[in-house]
Amino acid sequence: MMRHAIVMMSAAALVAVTGCKANPPGRVETAVVTYAKHHVFIGGRNQKNPLPDTPENRADGKEAFSYYCVACHGMDGQKTGVPFAGHMSPPIPSLASREVQSYTDGQLKWILDYGVWPSGMPGSKGTLSDDELWSIVLFLRHLPPAGSQGTPQMYGQ
Amino acid sequence: MKKLFLLLLFSVTALGAATCFTPALAAQTTPRRIVIEAKRFSYDPGEITLKKGEPVILVLKSRDVAHGLRFRDLNVDMKVKAGGTEEVEFTPMQTGDFVGHCSVFCGSGHGSMMLKLHVVN
Repeated sequence: MMRHAIVMMSAAALVAVTGCKANPPGRVETAVVTYAKHHVFIGGRNQKNPLPDTPENRADGKEAFSYYCVACHGMDGQKTGVPFAGHMSPPIPSLASREVQSYTDGQLKWILDYGVWPSGMPGSKGTLSDDELWSIVLFLRHLPPAGSQGTPQMYGQ
Repeated sequence: MKKLFLLLLFSVTALGAATCFTPALAAQTTPRRIVIEAKRFSYDPGEITLKKGEPVILVLKSRDVAHGLRFRDLNVDMKVKAGGTEEVEFTPMQTGDFVGHCSVFCGSGHGSMMLKLHVVN
């Protein structure tokens, strides 16, 4: 009986160690998931940004982005200065990448609202106002050059 | 005699205007003060009604952390420090329903913090 329990515990420990190991996704997995997200899972495709694309609204977006998006995406949206950026699976995308920029404005807003499950991207509906979320979409369309904004304050300079 | 009568009439008229009309005029031009208390994650009152063209002073008081109140369509944006008070005078020039939001990130319910403003004729 004791031996049976030890075997069970060892098996459970093995599964915990190996089964939960986060490996970077392969090319096929990435392609399939990216396609599924763009065409199936992410809603809001036809929603238009109600905010005009003005320097003031982009600045609002930059400020709203700085509230807590920067913790994972960096000040520039390109992971600059984020210490764990290279250790996440699925990886944190650069917001300047084609994968992200090819979403419509409505899809970006949808992602900001509801997040992307099962990645670490949380939804912000209720935490940020609609105005702020749409202004972030404007900011995402005009990201500053990588590395130009420094490290998020929370990680030191 | 006629000149004296006219002078007397003028004086009485001027005195009447000074005593009767000035307070009314003053009442019309003194902006109404509306005190709004902000706390995580609501405003009190949550809804206010203003008259188009009537100047008002919005007084924003924080009861906890730093907050803001922004009506994008009305070009009104005020920010208040934790426990502080700020005020802004403005005159709504368009009728309609407007929604103001907190413009200083104040926590998990920040995005749902809103104040409805009705501007009527």
